[in-house]
Amino acid sequence: MNMPTMVPVLRHNISPFLDPGSRTKANSLAIVQLSRDNLVPVYLQRPTGEHDGYKEGAVVNTKYGSYPHSTMLDVPWGSQIRASKVDTGSRGRKRKRPDGEDAGRPATDNNNNNNNNNTEEKTVETPKEESEPTNGAAAVAKPAVDDNSGFIHILPPTPEIWTMSLPHRTQVVYTPDYSYILHRIRARPGSVLIEAGAGSGSFSHASARAVFNGYPTPEYTKRKGKVYSFEYHEQRYHKMKSELEEHGLEGIVQLTHRDVYKDGFNIDGVSPQADAVFLDLPAPWEALQHLVRRRSTPGNDGWVSPLNPSKSVYICTFSPCIEQVTKTVSAMRRLGWVDIEMVEIAHRKLHTVRDRIGLNLPVDRGVNNSPKDVEEALARLTEIENRAREHARDSQLGGDDADATPMDVDTTTTKQNGNDGRQWSSKPWLDGRLVTRGEPEVKTHTSYLVFAILPREWTEEQEAAALARWPCGGEPKQVIGSLDKASRKKERREMLEKAGKSGDRNSRRKERIEQIGSPPPAPAQ
Amino acid sequence: MHSLVQPNSWIALRLPSDVTRVFKILPDKTISLGKYGSFPSNLIIQRPYHLTYEILDKKEGEGFSRLRVVPTAELYAEVLAEEAACGDTPDNNESTSISATEKVEYKVVDEEGKVVDVLDENARQTLTQEEIEELKRDGSGAGKELIKKLLLSHNALDQKTSFSLAKYKLLKTKKYIRRFQVLPVDVHNFAKWQLEERDASKILDLREEMLGLVGCWGNVHYGGDDVYLEDPGATGEQGEEMLPKIDEGLLAGRWLVVDDTCGVLVAALAERMGFLYPEEEDDESKSDGRVGEESEAAPEQAPTAVENGKIEAQDDQKDTEMADATTQEQQPPAEATTGEAKAKQHKRGSDFAIPFSQTNTITVVHGATQPNLSFLTHWGFDVTAPNHPPHPLLNHLLTLSWLQLLNPTADTTYSTPPLTASPETLLSWKPGRRGNFHRKRRRFARTRHIVDTARAGGFSGLVCASTMDPISILKHTLPLLAGGAPVAIYSPTLEPLAQLADCFSVSRRGAWASGMVPEILDKTAEELERWAGTEDFPLNPTLLLGTSIHTSRARRWQVLPGRTHPLMTDRGGAEGYVFTGWRAKPAEGRVSARGKFQPKRRKVETGSASEAATPTVETPKVETPVTA
Repeated sequence: MNMPTMVPVLRHNISPFLDPGSRTKANSLAIVQLSRDNLVPVYLQRPTGEHDGYKEGAVVNTKYGSYPHSTMLDVPWGSQIRASKVDTGSRGRKRKRPDGEDAGRPATDNNNNNNNNNTEEKTVETPKEESEPTNGAAAVAKPAVDDNSGFIHILPPTPEIWTMSLPHRTQVVYTPDYSYILHRIRARPGSVLIEAGAGSGSFSHASARAVFNGYPTPEYTKRKGKVYSFEYHEQRYHKMKSELEEHGLEGIVQLTHRDVYKDGFNIDGVSPQADAVFLDLPAPWEALQHLVRRRSTPGNDGWVSPLNPSKSVYICTFSPCIEQVTKTVSAMRRLGWVDIEMVEIAHRKLHTVRDRIGLNLPVDRGVNNSPKDVEEALARLTEIENRAREHARDSQLGGDDADATPMDVDTTTTKQNGNDGRQWSSKPWLDGRLVTRGEPEVKTHTSYLVFAILPREWTEEQEAAALARWPCGGEPKQVIGSLDKASRKKERREMLEKAGKSGDRNSRRKERIEQIGSPPPAPAQ
Repeated sequence: MHSLVQPNSWIALRLPSDVTRVFKILPDKTISLGKYGSFPSNLIIQRPYHLTYEILDKKEGEGFSRLRVVPTAELYAEVLAEEAACGDTPDNNESTSISATEKVEYKVVDEEGKVVDVLDENARQTLTQEEIEELKRDGSGAGKELIKKLLLSHNALDQKTSFSLAKYKLLKTKKYIRRFQVLPVDVHNFAKWQLEERDASKILDLREEMLGLVGCWGNVHYGGDDVYLEDPGATGEQGEEMLPKIDEGLLAGRWLVVDDTCGVLVAALAERMGFLYPEEEDDESKSDGRVGEESEAAPEQAPTAVENGKIEAQDDQKDTEMADATTQEQQPPAEATTGEAKAKQHKRGSDFAIPFSQTNTITVVHGATQPNLSFLTHWGFDVTAPNHPPHPLLNHLLTLSWLQLLNPTADTTYSTPPLTASPETLLSWKPGRRGNFHRKRRRFARTRHIVDTARAGGFSGLVCASTMDPISILKHTLPLLAGGAPVAIYSPTLEPLAQLADCFSVSRRGAWASGMVPEILDKTAEELERWAGTEDFPLNPTLLLGTSIHTSRARRWQVLPGRTHPLMTDRGGAEGYVFTGWRAKPAEGRVSARGKFQPKRRKVETGSASEAATPTVETPKVETPVTA
């Protein structure tokens, strides 16, 4: 069960990010959803006997119970999985409790682990625990037995989920940013992208999905989308590399370990012919010198541009500081980029809540036990006032038992209130007013995004050729754009006539009428 | 997307006034930009996008204006000069930029940076309107001369700060410089234009940020190479028994879409899936012969018909038109002339051959009898044209009405068995009748296929931008989604989405799971998937996971040396929100949650505690009766 043997198996499959199929598969990435924002990546394994002390094979331990992989394999995506009764206690120092505090830790351990190495066994277990030799390792894994509580859901990986659950190495390009960037740099199936600063890989995954239009095949059919990714940091490069392999994305994302400021973007001197560029670098302006159509400096004879020569190239740089932006924009202006625009994305996630306010609601967390409206306040004030008046009257009337009785009355009435008035309706999900509220913590700034476009080169010869093919000067007085009414009518009439010739019965009839000599039908306007 | 402007395609011209003009570029026409002048359309056909042109003065003896590509160095001349000035003394940026207090002689600088005119201190008079008009008519230097004169004749120019001077110059430049930029009409540019300059309500105020979000959260991407069903080779005598069987194993990469944005959403998704634009061809290699002449007429029909709002009428009309023709030979317009397009054009098989791919498709459900996808005409596709020239959308865009989806037997097209006729009878008919016969049979096969595949479910995702209540949409579409499939619903306003999210609230899920809803107790998992909804539970709350509402907004900045700041104004109006979630497959039987985060356990109040902010509280496990 070693990692290296896994890789070739994965290579044959299409990446679960691009086509997860309808059911979970062994040796493939799946996402375990513990709660809404708590997602844990897991590489599912077929159980082949006892594994690391678990009789059921590999097991995911969470604070919501233990889940042997066998229960998560070959089920439809999105399935709710029940927790299983797993003996987590006898395999080590653990108490014999299926859901002790220890079970809460693996989730975070998993993440750390992903950081350290990407072997899949370790992603799913607590690695620090030494597996104890158990009596006679069973050849067949013990079938999992349902526990009486606890569940999780299993989801197919998508770049969005991956971005939420990925092991952080650098600042992550989050979904609001990358969705906007990919839309603006026109990353489409078949595009070739350059990404410099692979970082944590969230943008790599999202862009791989955007440009994907089939894995490259030996026989050239159509241009296949590809992401040329560059990472300078060696450790990050290696982690990213193995991650891409595990995710079946190597055919789509080509990762290179390189200092792009110095060495540019060509792969072995061959141009990737990129249609779009994304730079997540500390000094994008230093990389920009390589992203030009041609170089004027001598000594670059064999140099080819990494850009697609026949298209406008779109670029986006991602920098957190305004000084970086100033320098980048200035460099772009000098290098001939047009439509330079800088934006900043503000993203908000909203939670819907039932705002529970009211005197008659039970005292509970999230419940505001103050009057919900003026009427309620008024009723309460009146009640208090009446009670006070009663109390005053009582104390005036009764002599000695005056201090005792009203007090008693008071306590009993509040108690009664607590029992009778203060309770949930029979439909607690409808209580309170529906409101939305932002997250407790907001990302106020991710980075500044600078967008620009570099038009393709257009030489005198090309212009002359185009002019020869599309001569002008002889065109009739037909105008596109702001037309005066007369010529618009005329155009419309001509169009109708043309349409008529191509077989429409009505207009043919009209034509015939015209030929006969009746007045030409006025245009409909 | 092409790299050069193609004749008869749609393009956008951005004018100095930041107005965008979108139109179809026909060869041998004159393009008029109003006060900025006019030029022959042939001058930008087969030229690159994103270049900025200047309309030159008419040459002697030529009846038209030529264009000049404005080099970027010229576009940025002033900023670069400013930068150069700042660059030497980076420390006193402040003092160089605010020079109002200093007594400066204002100079007008030409492209090379040489001072051409020193402002005459005695220039007190401003130009009159007549003089300006005259200058415009003389119009030399594409308006630059005029702008220079205007600046020179401004009598209070020396009282302006450099900021207001720059502003003044920009204002005059916008008004008089005769420049424009050619932009492609892709989804981004089109939606932006529609939003900012045309009718934003038509596309439900769908901003570019939202288009990106919806596409990503819907996980919309290329859904696999095309797979077609085999042509059953049905003859005219054979009826519905010959319809190709749907193979659910083949169906993959299909997205369900509800689009009330006139097709912008569909276009955005089609762009993401790679079938919005006709396949690219090498622009240069296509130099043999012009495509212009013969193609002018045909593609003109589609857009105008839609613009006139005669979609349905047009459809009928075209049907009859088609009936006349001996089917497919009739239509070699526009793209058909190019070699590549020909290869793409399928030889039409028998009447029951299914033209649609089984993978990588968009299924649009529409509320009217016809889908309103009129904006797709900007990408050369007319959804109402029955005999369409080849276009990748043809094989990947499936449309059906809600009636056909939910109650197909009530739909005439779906439920009427196809006509049959023996070959002899067929031959005896007039061509028109014969055409009609085949057309109806083809339509029947198409409808059957669309409806049956849609009802088979297993969609890879749901994307909506609709005016309809999202709850009602989900009620009928949730059962059709594959497990784990993402849902992304756009709404210009928050309230409908908040109500939708409330259907999946923790309290509701808790109540559902804990057996507080008597109606569901005797239902099987399958029945619960197709939950018809009650007043309390309009949707089965366990069918969606991780529901959340997002919004995002791009704030634009001006980046100029020493003057970098966010733009002062931006579009207001509808903010735009996206609801997201993933389709779950709940386990059968009762599932209890586990968790120990509730400080106190309350029996009665189960599921009623606040679902407030902290994420841990919001786990489905928390609020439900705890048995652990």
